[in-house]
Amino acid sequence: MDLLDWARGPLLTGAIAVFVAGVGWRLFCLWRMPPAHGPGAPARHAFGVIDAVAASLTRMVPRGGFRPSATLVTVNPYLFHVGLAVIFFGYAPHIAFVRRLTGLSWPALPDMVMYLAAALTIVSLLMALLFRLSDAVLKKISSADDWITWTITFLPLITGMALVSEPSAATLAHEQAIYRGPLAIHLLSLELLLVWFPFGKLMHAFLVLPSRMQLATFFGRRGVHS
Amino acid sequence: MIDRDVFHGFLEAIHHLPEMAQPAPLSDDERVSRAKSVMRAKTDRGLALDLEACVHCGYCSEACHFYQGTQDPRYSPSRKLDLLRRVHARESSAFAPLQRLFTPDITVAELQAWQELVYDACTECGRCSMICPMGINIARGVNVMREALFEAGLAPLELMAVAQEQAGRGTVFGVGPAELKRTLDALRAQGIAIPLDEPKADIMLVSTVIDVLLYQDALAATARILNHLGLNWTLRSAGFEAANFGLLSGSETLQKAATKRLVDEALAIGARTVILPECGHAYPALRWEGRLDNGDPLPFEVLAVSEFVGREITSGRLHVTPGEQGRKITYHDACKLARHGGVMDEPRAALKALGMELTETTPTAEKNWCCGGGAGAFLINRAAPLRHKAWEIKRRQIDDTGADTVVVSCASCRLNFMAGAEADQWSTRIDSVVEMVARQLPA
Repeated sequence: MDLLDWARGPLLTGAIAVFVAGVGWRLFCLWRMPPAHGPGAPARHAFGVIDAVAASLTRMVPRGGFRPSATLVTVNPYLFHVGLAVIFFGYAPHIAFVRRLTGLSWPALPDMVMYLAAALTIVSLLMALLFRLSDAVLKKISSADDWITWTITFLPLITGMALVSEPSAATLAHEQAIYRGPLAIHLLSLELLLVWFPFGKLMHAFLVLPSRMQLATFFGRRGVHS
Repeated sequence: MIDRDVFHGFLEAIHHLPEMAQPAPLSDDERVSRAKSVMRAKTDRGLALDLEACVHCGYCSEACHFYQGTQDPRYSPSRKLDLLRRVHARESSAFAPLQRLFTPDITVAELQAWQELVYDACTECGRCSMICPMGINIARGVNVMREALFEAGLAPLELMAVAQEQAGRGTVFGVGPAELKRTLDALRAQGIAIPLDEPKADIMLVSTVIDVLLYQDALAATARILNHLGLNWTLRSAGFEAANFGLLSGSETLQKAATKRLVDEALAIGARTVILPECGHAYPALRWEGRLDNGDPLPFEVLAVSEFVGREITSGRLHVTPGEQGRKITYHDACKLARHGGVMDEPRAALKALGMELTETTPTAEKNWCCGGGAGAFLINRAAPLRHKAWEIKRRQIDDTGADTVVVSCASCRLNFMAGAEADQWSTRIDSVVEMVARQLPA
């Protein structure tokens, strides 16, 4: 067994196990906390779960009425979030990887779109790092989690880009991976991300909806559009 | 008419509040232990979710008047929850045993440093939550921090003094039933009927120390409107104070006691409605947080007076005569009343009925800027320069409307506006919703 066999086999299994168990444990530990006091007063307006979900989704749209920070600071997080999603779900070799694991597949996006998305995402993540290093507020509130998470998110992108030397159709046509070492490194960087996921702020992927719904309900019952 | 001498006397009294405080002699270890005990007890599922969801994006700073006024990164709202976050990480989070290896425990020096952050530099206005992409209720976390600091004997001396007075003597700034009666007698001498301690009434009116001492016109205006509507109402000596210094200082015990006084009196007279004065924080404290002893919802309706008059005008029960045509006014939403209370449409309905030109600030309603003096910040002497930085944002916002009058429906905001106006020689007129409506009651 070489490094790629390890990365594709036991290490991937282990990383997925840590990811699933860690995320599950973290969510369970939140759920087992004592519940907040139920609302004591009747709501000004009925505000149900569907309203809360709707409010959570509309919170994705930038809010008006606030001091305009630099446009780039507001736009940048959209860029790397969308970019990461496009790269993971749209690149043909990634879809093949998911199909090998789960049997699920879907049509891939053209390679050119992927290259553009990857380039934009890399630039966007570098900009995010620059903001965090240079903005007084971000410097003040940043913790080790922020630096580790940035690094661990960036690594799969860089190691993945290092692998791209031919069209994805050609890559998938090979019976065996031709760059076994670099591919192993790329997979290991993904596994590192999976292992770190439950311990740091990447968990916001799972917390964003309940957190927004909680606030939307708090305000919504009072008749306040949040 | 506001008596400027009383206003200055009130400011002078605030200067002397620290001398009246009786801080508990606690060791550093006791302070940390007490603070952590509160933090642990208050970290429920909702707060834990809020603490864990923060991604440190810093957007909340965009919304914070204290950060925007100073550009000091220490005032970033997210950072105000750091101590709470650390205690949760170490003691109640999913990976607490691991977190303890990397997360330092909180210290008394940090608690002392956080006193400024959560009392002076936060009015719990909740504007930060409106912009937070994760939807975190930062104001709630700040309130828990206040409770922790109060328990650790580290609340600002001014708030500690007033809270101790309200808990001990049952008065606020020396105002109790005797002072209330004196004010009511003065208003009665003007021909205004004000029922006091009626054994039964449909409506219990609540007042507040600032109205009893300074904004007596607001109390008189409310009485005139209630009388004009022919309603069966009363004030109660044993439950007239809407201000809740337990809530503001961080003492949950006192907060509940102050609320209970109002609830017990309303129950005793069989009130169907409790009308709160123009006092921002009193509204969410009773309307949204108030409960019976057994936890059941209150069996009576709670209305802010500006909400009440707006509702009466909208329903057609209360008519007002047209006011000065061409006068341009703007309305300042008190954070606790609007963003935390949902009272936004009714005061506007009342003002629009007065026939003047109502111009909105930008932004407005639930996104409105705080005036900087809420949640007890107005009483903290050392916070005056910081408060003024926040006030400057508010002042510019009002100036940009071109209005000659800013109308408020919170006595705390009104005090802060008056102090800011005096400091800046600001000529914009400051008025109250209920007083403006009462001035235009039909003869």
